[in-house]
Amino acid sequence: MDGYEQGCGAGGQPSERRTGIAALSPPYQVAAALVLALLAVATCVHLAMVFLHVAPANTVSKRHGAAVDEWVYPEFEQNWKLFAPNPLQQNIAVEARAKLRTADGKVRHTGWHGLSAQDGAAIDGNLLPSHTQQNQLRRAWDYYASTHDTRNRPNGMRGELSEEYLRRIVVLRIGRDEPAEDMLHVQVRSVTTNVQPPSWSGEKLDSKPVIRQLPWWTVTSQDMEVRDR
Amino acid sequence: MNRFDRPAAVLSRGIGKVTSAALGPYQTAFIRIGFSATWLFFLLRELPNRHELYGPDGPWSWDLAHRLISDNEAFTALMWSDGRFWFECVYGLAIVSSALLMLGWRTRAMSVLFMVGALSVLNRSVFVGDGGDNVIHLMAMYLVLTRCGQVWSLDARRAARAARARGERFPEPDAVPGEAPAAAPVPAVRDRIGPVLWWVLGLALSVSTLLGVLTWGWALIFWTIWLAHGVWWLLGRNAPDSQLRTLFDVVANLLHNSALLVIMVEACLIYATAGWYKIQGSRWQDGTAAYYPLHLDYFSPWPALSQLLSANGTAVLLITYGTVIVQVAFPFTLFNRRVKNVLLAAMIFEHAMIAVLLGLPFFSLAMIVADAVFLPTGFLRRVGGWAARARGGLLARTRDVPGQRSGSGSGRGSGSDGVYGPDGSDEVHGPDDEGAEERSPQRGFTPRA
Repeated sequence: MDGYEQGCGAGGQPSERRTGIAALSPPYQVAAALVLALLAVATCVHLAMVFLHVAPANTVSKRHGAAVDEWVYPEFEQNWKLFAPNPLQQNIAVEARAKLRTADGKVRHTGWHGLSAQDGAAIDGNLLPSHTQQNQLRRAWDYYASTHDTRNRPNGMRGELSEEYLRRIVVLRIGRDEPAEDMLHVQVRSVTTNVQPPSWSGEKLDSKPVIRQLPWWTVTSQDMEVRDR
Repeated sequence: MNRFDRPAAVLSRGIGKVTSAALGPYQTAFIRIGFSATWLFFLLRELPNRHELYGPDGPWSWDLAHRLISDNEAFTALMWSDGRFWFECVYGLAIVSSALLMLGWRTRAMSVLFMVGALSVLNRSVFVGDGGDNVIHLMAMYLVLTRCGQVWSLDARRAARAARARGERFPEPDAVPGEAPAAAPVPAVRDRIGPVLWWVLGLALSVSTLLGVLTWGWALIFWTIWLAHGVWWLLGRNAPDSQLRTLFDVVANLLHNSALLVIMVEACLIYATAGWYKIQGSRWQDGTAAYYPLHLDYFSPWPALSQLLSANGTAVLLITYGTVIVQVAFPFTLFNRRVKNVLLAAMIFEHAMIAVLLGLPFFSLAMIVADAVFLPTGFLRRVGGWAARARGGLLARTRDVPGQRSGSGSGRGSGSDGVYGPDGSDEVHGPDDEGAEERSPQRGFTPRA
């Protein structure tokens, strides 16, 4: 194997200089071989773990799920179900309203603020949409919806985090439109509308929006920091 | 040397190859530049929004992140303090390290800082990320293990200059990896910046270890990297021809080649997963899937264009089926150079379309860069040549510096393959070794790349 790299290079000098493992004396060769074996095993194990992580639940991943998770989380987590198995076929618009304390001490109700609509408007004609426009609210709602049951009860710590997160986003966004007054309570709802199937498909879907309204949440003084930053 | 060699000979030749060279120097340099540039553009794009997305008082507050990260133990330096100043420091470090990694300045050290910056920012607020962030997150870690500054880097240029100063007309391809952390073995030119950088990083590492902000796993990783680079530098200076130095070189090559393999498989996994899950979806089966994302408010920056593109049922069907076919087929086409290149072009085109149509520029750019690891060396060198010429033209227009060119680069291939070499001398890899790979596409795994 020596001189292989140089020897077959077109026009390269026919050097007899050994490179790589061949250039080493036996004890060092053993060390190099050990490293090679170790790295080969590590590479295979890593690729197998990542494969089992992205593959559908199967015989092996069900049996060794804990080991796979241990290996993959938190740094090698990945999800490549891009628009799959089906692309999202609904526009989920998040809207919010607030109760504010006015200067004379009264409580004022705001109307519904179309927060997703604001995002959509900001994305229109935008070559470089920001994560604040495209991901923040959209994914916060997904996160909330996936960590709460239909009666809006959180499924543990992550559910509670998602609630506080969504509330702070709402306080920040409504606070931009209503910067003067203290915010006491906020309420969030989602308005889900089917994307109508293409005209040529002959399918028709219900075009009536489905509304999911969450209970009123109390705004804490910590939440207000996000607006007063 | 034909395919009928005995398996043992094939194996031993393979071992010789993966231990003696860091394969795919142009591919790894390209993805180094590509991922760091993507991340740099992203950080600059979000500069005005950085507090809202990643800052201590943003919606995903330091306290919320702290509760989540105490649970999942992800690495992020932004959790070490909830101060405003610390946040600015880390964000600044992420910007500077990605710019320097892109240029290939002290590539090894910068790749580690790049990873620290990327993981810190991305893990800080996982719920604002998307697929593009996921790609950057993974590749930032894999890049640390690659010798990604062999070409198209300031390191390579410095190494080539040092070799010239020593009187070597052409640097030996295997002797100048051009990306030693502290210094390439160049006794002729004393390198001061490298050791200083090494000590500064060692100090920073000591402080973070003493403060107990690193988990033991990360501490072990960072200390190993730091020590290995120190030993490598010492060996290069005091015993450049020793067996131990060669062993280090062999291990570095093995790490590089393993990481390159992982990067390639990762790219395949992305496409395979995306494709195989799509096959199961009814909309991908009935040929209307491509219609829907174009009608989502969050992914239609150009509604009129989206309407126009999705107006024709047959066109949507072709795009829908074409996407699935390309994604599912891609990993298998790697076994045929020509088909692979056609598919690569198709996928790069599709991602360029996605960048504009769905408003996902950073995701698309990251995916295009991931694809680029499979581009042929000849093509990449040509791209490098264009870039060098464009740069030379720009420089000539902006400032006139006659007599600055050393002229020693003449007669070496095109003489302008390197992005950074106005004197055409930054080429660390001679045309010989790469050319040989280009002409024998059935060997090894770089040729196909």
